[in-house]
Amino acid sequence: MPTRGSSFTVAVWAILRKEWRTEWRTRHGLNASLLFALTTLTAVSFAVGRLGDRTDLMGGLLWIVLLFGSLASLSHAFVREVEGRTLTFLRLVATPAAIGFGKLLFNLAFVLLLELVTVPMFLVLMGGPPPDWPPFLGLLALGGLALASTSTLVGAIVSQTRGRAALFAGVSLPLLLPVMAATVSGTRAQWQHGSIRSEVELLAGFTAAVLGASVLLYDHLWND
Amino acid sequence: MSSGEAAPGPAASRGAAPGRVHAAAAGAVAEPVGVPPRTGPDRTVAAGAPAFRIRASSLAHRYAPGRGLEAIDFAIASPGLIAVTGPNGSGKSTLLRIVAGLLEPSAGRCEVEIDGALLPPAARRARCGFAAPELAFYDELTVGENLEFAAEASGAVDAVARVDAALDRVGLPGRRRDRVAALSSGMKQRLRLAFAILHAPPLLLLDEPESHLDTDGREVLTQLLATQRASGLVLLATNDEREWRRADQRIELHGRGLGDPA
Repeated sequence: MPTRGSSFTVAVWAILRKEWRTEWRTRHGLNASLLFALTTLTAVSFAVGRLGDRTDLMGGLLWIVLLFGSLASLSHAFVREVEGRTLTFLRLVATPAAIGFGKLLFNLAFVLLLELVTVPMFLVLMGGPPPDWPPFLGLLALGGLALASTSTLVGAIVSQTRGRAALFAGVSLPLLLPVMAATVSGTRAQWQHGSIRSEVELLAGFTAAVLGASVLLYDHLWND
Repeated sequence: MSSGEAAPGPAASRGAAPGRVHAAAAGAVAEPVGVPPRTGPDRTVAAGAPAFRIRASSLAHRYAPGRGLEAIDFAIASPGLIAVTGPNGSGKSTLLRIVAGLLEPSAGRCEVEIDGALLPPAARRARCGFAAPELAFYDELTVGENLEFAAEASGAVDAVARVDAALDRVGLPGRRRDRVAALSSGMKQRLRLAFAILHAPPLLLLDEPESHLDTDGREVLTQLLATQRASGLVLLATNDEREWRRADQRIELHGRGLGDPA
């Protein structure tokens, strides 16, 4: 069969497009995540009003909303394939590594979309001071990548177990604690015009380790 | 112990039972003595078609005690149609999954060679077409979108043309825009066949391909098998006597089968 140049890149791109198409048709993840973000922010806004001078609380609240909003969808990346019995189809058209990285790119795009909708809503409803945009956006991007890579790897590992939903939460949340600590601390620091160097280093190191583990593990995940 | 039984010519043309390769225990390698001659109108190897060879040595897989594929030895080569038969639970589907590289056997070896070069399990999916009852597609996508995704992910440059050709061959040209969720069981089975032949693979692994097919569908399957057996290799897992009687050779699994006392 005539093939394109890099089969890995082509397969990753095809999987990413397929993920968006199926998500757009069903909107399972988008609806759940956006509804969670909207409900949480509205409820907090009604309960405590604007938190303009409490930048310490704002960092925590923002990342709690982003973490649980994204996990509502990210946990299903591989579970959908197992429960829909489409994993065999997927394995026949792409390598495990291409499947893993295609899912990772989709999850990353999903988190970034969630941030794109949630962060402006958060800033308006909470009435915080304008962020220091370069470090703030950097934290959002790096935190999003850490969230997506960790949840993709954990989702792939637990997808074929019986108690996958409970296992996903039980395994991913402890793993994500350093990510939460670094992003919350960094977000607070940028509002207080402090340095976020140590937080960025922690996030970059953590993400590099997870991506490295992904490269090593994806090829061994679905050997029945 | 494995053994071979001769089939002196292409079984399909004679209407006789195909040569058998019994498989019950590990040990001897059974090279089917009834390898049909590679001449004649439907036995000629197509020009440029790769030569396939599959060799199993003490190959076994165990899901649980008494469940899975019991040790088996055989060696088969292209071109031809090889039937895999045996009671439910004897390991027919397991054998096909191992050959496809989807399952790592718990014992023994399964070597797939193409033009004399060993094909590692991870590389087999690009060279074989696979259709099985457990193969499901994305319900929320259309027939065409599912197959185009498969073709694109496999790196095909002419995905749309390939999908059209495959759908045409299985009699689904008008179903391209239908959601998979809206297809009947028979249509889904045809879609599995279309997926299996999408990239014109030299090796076809078909597990119960006749299930859910109507008369027209069976005719489609017959034509597909006739074309493929002439140029490549087909491994057909079935218990339908009409199907396996058309085969050139038969691998008969003697597993205990589900429901039998362990």
